[in-house]
Amino acid sequence: MRQVLEGSQAVAFAVRLARTKVISAYPITPQTHIVEELAKFCAEGSLDGRFICVESEHSAMAALIGAAAGGVRVFTASSSHGLAYMHEMLHWASGARLPIVMAEVNRALGPGWNLWMDQTDSLAQRDTGWIQLYCEDSQEALDTTLQAYLLAELVNLPVMVVLDAFFLSHTFEPVDVPGQEEVDRFLPPFAPKFRLDTAAPCNLHEMAGPPIYMEMRRSIQAAMERVPEAFRRVEADFAAHFGRSYGAVEAFRCEDAEVVLVMAGTMASTCRQLVLDLRARGERIGLLKLKLFRPFPAQAVWESLQGVPRIAVVDRNNSAGAGGIFAQEIRAALCNRRERPAVHSFIAGLGGRDITLGTLETIYRRALAAAAPAPESEWVELDEELAQS
Amino acid sequence: MNQETMDAFKVPLFFSRSSVSTESHRTGDWSFIQPSFEDRTAPCSEACPCGTDLPRVEALAAQGRHLEAWQAILMENPLPGVCGRVCFHPCEQACNRGEFDAPVAVHALERFVSGQARPDPAPGRSAARPRRLAILGSGPAGLAAAAFLARLGHACEIFEAASEPGGLLRWGIPAYRLPAAVLAREIEAILALGVKLHCGAPRDGSLAGFDALLAACGQGRSLGLGVPGAELARDGLELLRAARTGPARPAAAGARAAVIGGGNTAIDVARTLLRQGLRPVIVYRRRREDMPAFAPELERALAEGAELLELHAPLALGRGRAGLRLTLQKMRSLDPGPDGRRPVTALPDAPVELLVDEVYGAVGAEPDPAWLELMAHTPATRLARCSIAFGPAPVAFIGDLGPAPKSVSEAIASGKEAALALDAWFAGGAAAVAALAACRVGAGPALSMASYLGTGRARSSRPVRFAELNPAYFVPAERAEPPVLAAAGFGEVEGGLEPAAAEREAGRCFSCGTCNGCDNCRTFCPDVAVRLELGARRIDTGFCKGCGVCVEECPRGAMAMGAEEGRP
Repeated sequence: MRQVLEGSQAVAFAVRLARTKVISAYPITPQTHIVEELAKFCAEGSLDGRFICVESEHSAMAALIGAAAGGVRVFTASSSHGLAYMHEMLHWASGARLPIVMAEVNRALGPGWNLWMDQTDSLAQRDTGWIQLYCEDSQEALDTTLQAYLLAELVNLPVMVVLDAFFLSHTFEPVDVPGQEEVDRFLPPFAPKFRLDTAAPCNLHEMAGPPIYMEMRRSIQAAMERVPEAFRRVEADFAAHFGRSYGAVEAFRCEDAEVVLVMAGTMASTCRQLVLDLRARGERIGLLKLKLFRPFPAQAVWESLQGVPRIAVVDRNNSAGAGGIFAQEIRAALCNRRERPAVHSFIAGLGGRDITLGTLETIYRRALAAAAPAPESEWVELDEELAQS
Repeated sequence: MNQETMDAFKVPLFFSRSSVSTESHRTGDWSFIQPSFEDRTAPCSEACPCGTDLPRVEALAAQGRHLEAWQAILMENPLPGVCGRVCFHPCEQACNRGEFDAPVAVHALERFVSGQARPDPAPGRSAARPRRLAILGSGPAGLAAAAFLARLGHACEIFEAASEPGGLLRWGIPAYRLPAAVLAREIEAILALGVKLHCGAPRDGSLAGFDALLAACGQGRSLGLGVPGAELARDGLELLRAARTGPARPAAAGARAAVIGGGNTAIDVARTLLRQGLRPVIVYRRRREDMPAFAPELERALAEGAELLELHAPLALGRGRAGLRLTLQKMRSLDPGPDGRRPVTALPDAPVELLVDEVYGAVGAEPDPAWLELMAHTPATRLARCSIAFGPAPVAFIGDLGPAPKSVSEAIASGKEAALALDAWFAGGAAAVAALAACRVGAGPALSMASYLGTGRARSSRPVRFAELNPAYFVPAERAEPPVLAAAGFGEVEGGLEPAAAEREAGRCFSCGTCNGCDNCRTFCPDVAVRLELGARRIDTGFCKGCGVCVEECPRGAMAMGAEEGRP
């Protein structure tokens, strides 16, 4: 049924459709609407689950780790400082191989205090062992959340569904909300591969010394390596039920492109329009949208860029001292390929600054005109005077 | 996706796990220090001369279990209705809540619970060999000694010289502070323990047929003013006695009276005179803040219309043309002396004269010389609040004859100490008397009858200080104040708390050092090492790592960290 939903609501609806049993969260803008909606569902009884109020994000994730180890489907949501505060438990969740799902609404980190869109918070968690899936619109947010449960349970790794602050979390759009029965067919009841059981007590994740720790880490890496295939199957299954799929990456009009813009999140929608506008004028521009960030879909990226001479990676984030994070990952994914595009790296739209058609066209033209990529990420639409003062 | 398809998708899933529960991790082995539950002494109990278990009293009162609360007081103090009115409540000065917002209104609560339906008699025991004891005087010390000795199985007879029992309570404290009916009811309860009372029966210090004698004769004789013309002054105590006995004298409306003194008797004399229609002025040689009188009593006297003339010492008293001429010397306060009190010295100013209709002396009192003589000839062991000449036929000097400060609750404590000491003496001699120290409440001199009977809860003598509480768990709450009634004749001036207010006020008690089952320790323990079994909590030392979180999160200081036995 099509409904007009806020991006946050779309996630909450999916969490309810997944028959999630335990939700624990601490409010933080711009994530709060998600857990507010879920708290309402729990209170009114439309979601047969328990909402555990906690005093911090660290405790929220700790509560979910306990609940998931008990063998139930769980959920939380966070943003920015909340996610940073959760960091220790993020490592624990993946190390414990628990299929926890969380929504992470990208928000800038302070100081200065900033509530708005910025990808640095989620990307800073790239080494925690969480699968990361980025969303472009509300429909994708709902669909990805449902997919996330199946994916997490297939590979026993936690999944972070990432949304843009406000551009997605607080924007209303028509969303096709699937029926419960259909979702139940797509997503069977959670059948944990292991769980805490008082009838057969054991200590999960107990001390692991040098003889086995490395093997545990390798097991996580091996599971991560299985994610692209698992996600492909999840998407195929999802498409069979609901007629929609997204792909780990999506190449839009990349055929014969002179420049492909690479990005994740809602700015991909803006870029689609730019591609259509410029293609209509005969320019050879394409878009590569990244949905899966962890594990990094190196093979899919390389395959999508066959024959493309140059790409412009648009990072709405910055790793101080290293530049745009998506650009780093793409360079790493391509560096050992003989045929590979030149990688131009751009930083734009930090802390909620708009990325407009004009912003993306500027990036396209600079990449097109450059003889070779600049050694460092190029910052666009910057007040240089302020930045150098 | 169906379950079969999901199961067919193989993914490495290797992680550490044990084949047994976490109980195999004896985390307690790591600890070198562990917590323990320790019922500790609340500072209010320690400060109470009677050693009343106040956290328990307040907990019961807060739950509406008023009779049990009363019973808990009666265990340590046979005169709660009296103390709930006239005690100067050192408990409230010690109350830890005073450092948070305002002390718990312990005094008003004592009065409240003592006004409920009559409780059962306080428990006691039978003596292996009951003794016969003669108690001379039925003031607070004599009554208390009789009550405790009777509960310990002894036969007590009180010999009271006056026509009615009560001593100072009956004759020295005006009815507006202590109604006669309240006193009568508590004396009746003491007599119901089997105590015999002989009124109009003065008696000397001879034993004649008794196994021991307790002298509790009080200080019935006022000290003179010691200035020329002192014989023109009237006796303040006599005024109080007369006001208690007969009808109030016809008001000499507007007549002015000087009351010399700065103690509680001076205040009571002034307030009695006010009620008889006179205009009293209290004349005191030191500063107002140096007065031994209880400050709130002075404030009420002033509010009722009494005047205060501080730093004026009487030089002489003479007859004026109409009335009396009181000659006063203006004084100056000096730096505190070794006793902490500030001496005064005369200013060079010329004396001033005060023309009044009457002068009352209230500068102190002393026992009858016969008792002083007996004490001088009876070598006695000085205990904290009484002196006892131990021997085959012991003689105890209690109340005002003992070494304790002069107050009603101290007198009760004195009678209690003598009762326990004599019982111990009869049972086990000097060693048993020395062993009474184990019944002390906290570090103070108060003795616990419950401990002596072996029925009290074991409380560590370390009192709980405010810094040991976790005030994060307490919410500021306004203290209930009993209503102050209009001064009308000799009717009571202070009202009682309503039940709802009393229960709320009792609920303000921090319950310092006493576990009230809040369960914070169990909730916060990261190792599930606080076990709750049959309603009792214990530390599972096999798993307690000794982190101390439970002790920190105990709101009321009822837990302590201590080195484990057998470990460094």
